[in-house]
Amino acid sequence: MPAAMIRPGLCRVEQIMGTAITLDLADDLPPARLHELADEVFAWMREVDARFSTYKEDSEVCRFDRGEVLLSEASTDLRFVLEACADLWGATDGFFDAYATGRLDPSGFVKGWAAQVASDRLLAAGAANHCVNAGGDVRVRGFSPAGEPWRIGIRHPWDAMATCLVLAGTDLAVATSGVYERGRHVLDPRRGAPAGGLRSVTVVGSDLGVADAYATAALAMGAGGIGWLDRLGDHTHAVVTDDARQFHSTALPLTV
Amino acid sequence: MRRALFAITGLAASTTALVVLKGSPGTTQVAQNLPTAQPVNPTGQVVDPSADPAVGPTGAAPKPSVTAGAPSSSPKPTRTTARPSGTKTTAKAPSAPRTTTKPPQSTTRRVTGPPVDTAKGYGYVQVQIVVSGSKIIEATTLALPSGGESDIHSGDVRDTYNGTGGEVVQKQSANLNTVSGATETSIAYKSSLRSAIEQAF
Repeated sequence: MPAAMIRPGLCRVEQIMGTAITLDLADDLPPARLHELADEVFAWMREVDARFSTYKEDSEVCRFDRGEVLLSEASTDLRFVLEACADLWGATDGFFDAYATGRLDPSGFVKGWAAQVASDRLLAAGAANHCVNAGGDVRVRGFSPAGEPWRIGIRHPWDAMATCLVLAGTDLAVATSGVYERGRHVLDPRRGAPAGGLRSVTVVGSDLGVADAYATAALAMGAGGIGWLDRLGDHTHAVVTDDARQFHSTALPLTV
Repeated sequence: MRRALFAITGLAASTTALVVLKGSPGTTQVAQNLPTAQPVNPTGQVVDPSADPAVGPTGAAPKPSVTAGAPSSSPKPTRTTARPSGTKTTAKAPSAPRTTTKPPQSTTRRVTGPPVDTAKGYGYVQVQIVVSGSKIIEATTLALPSGGESDIHSGDVRDTYNGTGGEVVQKQSANLNTVSGATETSIAYKSSLRSAIEQAF
């Protein structure tokens, strides 16, 4: 495809955090500068993974959970994440719960937050046109390599190869939580049982960490999550129910 | 004041929990007695196939296999929702899956779930999936709530809902830069296909 050859910018995919991180830089910068920016982004994502992974016994999160690190000794990032998770617990009526599994697991916030920070840093570094996709959580800014608003598909909950909605925008954080890949892994923290009723929840806002947590929370709420999302003034949403019905905000930035 | 707030919140939460807990076994029973106790929809599908299809958006074609599937469906219906992974009214189809651009799968099978009560009086849902290995590569809805029952559902949501929707989820794709989806495990994601798609743009 010749268009891909002459497009400005850089696209790179790396496996970090047990998922694929895709970075698409659309600014027409010198190749050396683009690679430098990409290196910084992926170094940051690896740093987050090392510090926040619940699968790594020596991560700061695990050491903090075991009581080996005191809150006063924790890194600024960990303290920020713990505070954000506490705020989100309140904002979601307890449905976003970093302790839902019985031990500290802030993953529902960390992945989106890490991508958000990466995007913020790119903007500050003068790369105002980019797309960061951390395992399905997407932060876009500016324009795509084609010079148009970024086009973001939302995965079809029953067909991994299809999308069910297409969004377009120049400043969007899009997070999707679904039960289709890991099964019903999202627990309703109030019942301690898997949540039911919703198959997939997409939340669109300005901060990817918050959008990610809201999507997880709404999924845990089940059918009641639709009304909860509807009452959020500063976020839009799209929901697919277990009976394959689709609901979305009228203000959702849809395109065709 | 604060204490009162907590009390009210607590009361609301426990009421919700009660309703939820109470709701599940009750509806399970409805699904269990489906062929006898709730003859409205199943008989509508089985005995009088010509009655519904005009109304149904998908033309919920009642099939003979549906009739066979319904009574034998799960001695213990675990879920009242439309999980395709439900029971096995398997009908092996050696034919390749349709509408995929992927290379032909070696072992695909078609699995039809039983008609499942949506548990809130909105009607029945029946899903057929095409499985390749341990993966669902396609899901088709054979039956969905239609007509009056569907209206109850949509209307129920719309009473308080400001958004739009209630329609059956469709497939849409065109010229994407990226895809948002729940991909928390690496296994599915590592299948280079998706990375390839994203790298292509």
